[in-house]
Amino acid sequence: MYISYNWLQDFIKLSPKYNFNEVADKLTAHTVEVEATKNQKEVFSQVVVGKVLEVSKHPNADKLSLVSVDIKDRILKIVCGAPNVESGQLVPVALDGAILPGDFEIKTSKIRGEISEGMICAEDELGLGFEHKGIMVLKEKAKIGQDFSEYLKMDDLIFEIDNKSLSNRPDLLNHYGIARELSVLFNTTLKPWEKIIDDKIKIKFNEKDKFKAEVFDKIACPRYMALKIDNIKVAPSPDWLKKRLVAINQRPINNIVDIANYVMFELGQPLHTFDAAFVDKIEVRRALNNEKIETIDQKERQLNVDDLVITNGKNIIAIAGVMGGLESQISDKSTSLVLEAANFSAEVIRKTAQRLGLRSEASLRYEKSLDPNLTEVALKRFVSLLKEVCEDIKIIGTGVDIYSHKPIEKKIKFNYSWLTTKIGQEIPKNDALKSLSLLGFTCTENDNEIEVVVPSWRATKDIKEKEDIVEEVLRIYGYDNIKSTLPKEELSLPIDNQERLLERRIKDMLYSQFLLTEVYNYSFVGEEQLKKLNIDFFNHLKLANPLSELNSMLRQSLAPGLFSTIKNNQSKSDDLAFFEIGDVFFNLPGEYVKDISGIEKLPYQEKRLGIILAGKNKLVFSQLKNITTNFLTWLLNLNDDVVYLNFDTPPGWADEKLIAQVSVAGKNIGWLGLGSNDVKKNLNLKVEVALLEINCNSLFSLFLEQAPFKIKEVLKYPPVVRDLCFVLPDKILYNDIKDVLSSFHPLIKSVELFDTYKGIKLPADKKSLAFHLTYQSEEKTLTSNEVDKIQKELVEQVIEKFGAQLRDF
Amino acid sequence: MKNRLQTLKNEILEKINEIKSEADLKEIELKYFSRKGEINQIMHSLKDLDLELRKEFGVLANQTKKELEEAFTKAKNSILNNNDGEILDVTLPGVNMKRGHLHPITIIQKEVEDLFSSLGFSIISGPELESDYFNFTALNIPPFHPARDMQDTFYVTSAKDDNQEELDLVMRTHTSPVQIRAMRKFGAPLKAIIPGRCFRNEATDARHEHTFYQFEGLMVGEDINFANLKSLLEIVGKKIFGPNTKLRMRPKFYPFVEPGNNGEYTCFLCSGKGCKVCKQTGWLEIVGAGLIHPNVLRAGGIDPEKYSGLAFGFGLTRLAMLKYGVNDVRLFNSGDLKFLQQF
Repeated sequence: MYISYNWLQDFIKLSPKYNFNEVADKLTAHTVEVEATKNQKEVFSQVVVGKVLEVSKHPNADKLSLVSVDIKDRILKIVCGAPNVESGQLVPVALDGAILPGDFEIKTSKIRGEISEGMICAEDELGLGFEHKGIMVLKEKAKIGQDFSEYLKMDDLIFEIDNKSLSNRPDLLNHYGIARELSVLFNTTLKPWEKIIDDKIKIKFNEKDKFKAEVFDKIACPRYMALKIDNIKVAPSPDWLKKRLVAINQRPINNIVDIANYVMFELGQPLHTFDAAFVDKIEVRRALNNEKIETIDQKERQLNVDDLVITNGKNIIAIAGVMGGLESQISDKSTSLVLEAANFSAEVIRKTAQRLGLRSEASLRYEKSLDPNLTEVALKRFVSLLKEVCEDIKIIGTGVDIYSHKPIEKKIKFNYSWLTTKIGQEIPKNDALKSLSLLGFTCTENDNEIEVVVPSWRATKDIKEKEDIVEEVLRIYGYDNIKSTLPKEELSLPIDNQERLLERRIKDMLYSQFLLTEVYNYSFVGEEQLKKLNIDFFNHLKLANPLSELNSMLRQSLAPGLFSTIKNNQSKSDDLAFFEIGDVFFNLPGEYVKDISGIEKLPYQEKRLGIILAGKNKLVFSQLKNITTNFLTWLLNLNDDVVYLNFDTPPGWADEKLIAQVSVAGKNIGWLGLGSNDVKKNLNLKVEVALLEINCNSLFSLFLEQAPFKIKEVLKYPPVVRDLCFVLPDKILYNDIKDVLSSFHPLIKSVELFDTYKGIKLPADKKSLAFHLTYQSEEKTLTSNEVDKIQKELVEQVIEKFGAQLRDF
Repeated sequence: MKNRLQTLKNEILEKINEIKSEADLKEIELKYFSRKGEINQIMHSLKDLDLELRKEFGVLANQTKKELEEAFTKAKNSILNNNDGEILDVTLPGVNMKRGHLHPITIIQKEVEDLFSSLGFSIISGPELESDYFNFTALNIPPFHPARDMQDTFYVTSAKDDNQEELDLVMRTHTSPVQIRAMRKFGAPLKAIIPGRCFRNEATDARHEHTFYQFEGLMVGEDINFANLKSLLEIVGKKIFGPNTKLRMRPKFYPFVEPGNNGEYTCFLCSGKGCKVCKQTGWLEIVGAGLIHPNVLRAGGIDPEKYSGLAFGFGLTRLAMLKYGVNDVRLFNSGDLKFLQQF
């Protein structure tokens, strides 16, 4: 929203000792952030008045002319396409380097072979209107070489305020509201709005007359005012009016529409004008499903029962509060109008504007909840201004005022000492009450209890409870004037968050001890990406409004992101090692409740840890196993082994033969596998990739289940290490034999695989596994004989149980 | 035998004296000191002698062996450590060692967590996929409230239902819904921060990213007031941006606080003098804050007549950008090794 400094001064007189930027700073410090300030002159820098000296035909183009233009210090050659260019005209000329509205930069260039050192502008190119039939011809008072802004007497200064930061302040989306704030901040009087209404114009409302209106949905339309005015003369607006609109980036259209807009930007109340030829009656009702209207932007809009519409009893003539209809709009031929000043439900307008994607200046204001009292002031202001512009207007009969829902006066009571405790500092009561009353609150004091009546323009949404009064007092007093004091509180233990600590430990270990690089990938995946990884995407949760198809679903695994990480980095290094911790999402009910009733649950969400290694050969699979085993053992101080088991339902990306479930203490906590050749081909990977994915929730519960960490006693007596190598049938798994070896005798303290072999020295269906067995006693030095005896029995058992043979070294 | 030992000793000592290069070293080592070298041969031959002689020569032989080995080691060290004439380039780089890297957001988040932990705050978390209720309604942003425009939202549908169903699932647009969940779970008093991933439905470019990190702090107690909020924000600013950092607060509308404000800190790059990063203003808008709105306390099951609270939120991603001079926000989720390796 743009606010004109000149316009504000219609309502307040600010001492000239304050400069414009100080005023902007004050607004920012106490009311709302002024995002930018600009001098209107800058809009037309490099645009000057020129005189057309000579016009001749362009040698290479029928519709273009070659024009020489005097701009006082030199004569420019300009190629011009306007049919109305004639010698002797005074015209606006945009020079080389000028930037016109819409960021259109003017540069000296050749047009169809002829040099053009600028542009002679039409009204629309300067943002001054919609006229594009020809160049703008200036009045005789224009001086050659004069700055165009000077010719237009553009001396305004503009504040720019972001509409979003006014979501709660419908009263500020206009000049009068901003002037009201400034009157408080600069302690100056605000012109009452009665003073901007021509009191000679008498309008009577609500009497029976032939012009009728009816409101069918009174909730959606708490107040509807309308007035029929004859003898209007549609014409361009007078300069002063155009100037104001141009200053706030609005293009003038015609006097009637411009005045309606003017009132909206001045007071915040949207108005609509219908050509009375199309309206002899008004009905406000909900639309029927599939009803249609062509709006003034010449688009057909399909409506439904949520939309509120204005009809003339037969046809829809406007979408209430959003946009008017094309047919009934004011045109050059209109001779009488029906003015609408209405109050509509914020929610209804917002729903419609959102669904139709039609955010007009009107809907923007309505959806913030407007004060129903405003309609009357705005209607009268419109008539006053119209009278100024078209003296002969005639008000027909009486006006309509259907005021179905008068707001109840809102009163808030609070204790002044309560306010002081909320702020944490005493603000002089008189200062506070004065600020409130300048803002329009009526305050009455009873002992220490204060009752305020909220002004109607603040009562629609913004001010509801006493906490809202704290803000009013505090912001006017100034946040900068509050002395900071640290909270005083009793010491208490923070909430125990082991999960968070574990996550931090995991990250620290993986990067510092296993030298992995942490990566963050998006939570979103796309169909194509999942297809390439042979991952079924049917059951993924989907975004209803994705930015692109690449990011249209919620990930169920960290794998897609991590594979992409490898793909994107494979040219940068031969061996890559990344990890990620992030959430995945499933289309199943989870733990978190959806609302406070607690009946419905949010979809299941789980934190995962993923590690991915890439290298030249399939060894990465075994390297990743090594990392996984060591990492889990250290992290959890495991007494149990990390075990790898066959996986019957492997993820799509994995090589069927090299995918295992990772199991700790009998719990499957994730999986580890090698990327299949298929996936390598689909992703165009030039490296072998191994990936581990672990459920952090399972990891966390394992962590909690582990006995507190205690060191293992360092045994005094020397260990005896024996090597054993078995030739075994292929089908016997490492896990099977390992279990037997380690549980065979209490003196066997560790079993470590140090070699596997399969090849020509063995029969085709056999393999060999070689182990270091460590024997150690807590009580004495073991003798060879003792160890030999145990080992002999052990070998016999393995041979018998697995059909193994002992292999000699 | 004795003579043989003596001859060999002299011979070896002479040869050791003549050692000039590593090649000489190797040759002598092989000839005399290796497993099948001449010294060992003599030692081996001891076993053929009578017990008496064996005792006598054994001592001598061992002693001689020891002497020779010492002489050889001395010569060896002198050769290896004193390569006269050969130039060693001490400026050569050492052996390259791989190292791991934490993500910059992890690093920043850790700093922030440590700061607040030291002030006695708990660290809590909540779901990234939220309900419309917790993300908006419970935070005093009812359906069709214009404040919903402040946050472009990703809505989530399950694959099965068609678009007909009302969309009541969102990717959380801020960490604030966890405020409500925490209040309901832990009650008052409460002092916690909530770091986490958030989402906004906006097209990405160097300055905009649909996935980013925030953290949120809240404190609920019997007498929490605005002056407390101000001092807490001052401390945070000094800790994050340096001891001379100043705070300035401006009114700003956030539906979940009342009064609401933003907080600007003096730019840490130019110490408030004005630079490119702070757009010559000397100030950086970093934090949104306020006293918790009574409706939010109510939604959290806390009586606003008895308790009040303060809340504030920072962008972790923005902090990381400022701190590390990252000009393109997309780098954080790019997985680009060249970026990640720098941390």
